[in-house]
Amino acid sequence: MNSLIIIGDFFAKVAELFTTPEYIDALLHGFLLTIQISYFAILLGILLGAIIALVDVAKPKGWLIIPKFICRVYTTIIRGTPMALQLFIMFFAIFAIKGFPSIIIAILAFGLNSAAYTAEVIRGGILSVDKGQTEAGEALGLSQTTIFFKIVAPQAIKNIIPALGNEIITVIKETAIVSMVGMYDLNMAAKDIGSGQNMASYIVPMFVAALFYLATIYLITFIVKRIEKSLRKSDLRTEG
Amino acid sequence: MDNQNTELIIKNLKKHYGKNKVLRGINFELHEGERVVVLGPSGSGKSTFLRCINRLEEPSSGQIILDGVEVTDKNIRKIRRNIGMVFQHFNLINNLTVMENLILAPVKLKVMKKDEAIKCAHELLGHIGLPGKADAYPASLSGGQKQRIAIIRAMMLSPEILLFDEPTSALDPESIGDVLSLIRELADRGMTIMIVTHEMSFAKEIATRIVFVDKGKIIEEGTPDEFFNHPKTPRVREFLKKVL
Repeated sequence: MNSLIIIGDFFAKVAELFTTPEYIDALLHGFLLTIQISYFAILLGILLGAIIALVDVAKPKGWLIIPKFICRVYTTIIRGTPMALQLFIMFFAIFAIKGFPSIIIAILAFGLNSAAYTAEVIRGGILSVDKGQTEAGEALGLSQTTIFFKIVAPQAIKNIIPALGNEIITVIKETAIVSMVGMYDLNMAAKDIGSGQNMASYIVPMFVAALFYLATIYLITFIVKRIEKSLRKSDLRTEG
Repeated sequence: MDNQNTELIIKNLKKHYGKNKVLRGINFELHEGERVVVLGPSGSGKSTFLRCINRLEEPSSGQIILDGVEVTDKNIRKIRRNIGMVFQHFNLINNLTVMENLILAPVKLKVMKKDEAIKCAHELLGHIGLPGKADAYPASLSGGQKQRIAIIRAMMLSPEILLFDEPTSALDPESIGDVLSLIRELADRGMTIMIVTHEMSFAKEIATRIVFVDKGKIIEEGTPDEFFNHPKTPRVREFLKKVL
């Protein structure tokens, strides 16, 4: 009997959350911020990550040694320190400028962090392409650019996509720590809605926030799987 | 003195990886219409020798001269157009269909227009008995089919010289016959060919000259008759005793 009351109460609270404009607005507002930070951070991460990866796999000739070294140092530092600490450094040291939009600081913090991981993912994908493929292109007299775009990149992408999907998921979930610097994301919204002045119960808003994260990530997993499948066309042993 | 019929001259070619000396000074000439088979024990440097010719391996020192022009980093792409290469593991481009594999280089290098290249590719595919495979991906082909397509891919650019790096070593016995008969046909048409192979009977049959490489040097060369029936050096006699 007791447990039935608790369950009934739980669903009543869920209904309350979705029907009270103040609560649902707050939640959606937080969700939007989470999506905004994630989206732009991932974009920045892929862009910068691709550049770092390309510099890293290039032959160490002449002046390239310097950017190669910088990229090495960059990935070492980013991957060797906690994300939360990087976020603090960005907020309270580098961008401790009054009035500077915190969303931009957050995008930079997560984007610069993600770039280091994405670079490794892309680098691994490029290196996984059989050397014979490049040699075939070279032996035919093709330029390095043609070899890269026509031969290496399309094959590398197949190996990059699954790991990249993983990285995207990681970034979305990791953005929850922006609540530590006072930003009103999905995680913070759940905490706020559950606080004493509002619903005075954390379990329901946090459960709903979890569903929001879960749904988003499920959608991304689905899209990534579809992309993977369409990219694998040429691996099938059936006639094209 | 530039002999008109001399296509390729190699002078004192050396290649080392760190302290490991793979080629210790190779001197070699290839004349138009010749079919040179390079033999030697494994690890002797014969594949490296072949790969240095079109600079898939960067030579450590020495000169490679094609049609009187020295091959350098600067002109290598132009030179490669004239030197076709067939690999042990075929190396068809996995993400491209057979047709795309065949026309990629001729179209990109502006040797042919796209429709010309497609027509030429269809003809060659028909000729090797694979007319229906134009839209297939390499993954759906057998080893023998892949290698024959790799050979006609090299032929699409009408190269002066065709290099074969152990073209049948990764094939099943049945496919070997198909690939060898295609090479034989190119030979009959007067193609200048260099082959690294372990197929002794094929070497005997097709070669106009046999080159024997051991420990990074050419230690004996001659016609198949001289080489197989009257070897000059003890090293070759020992080698032949083991392989024949």
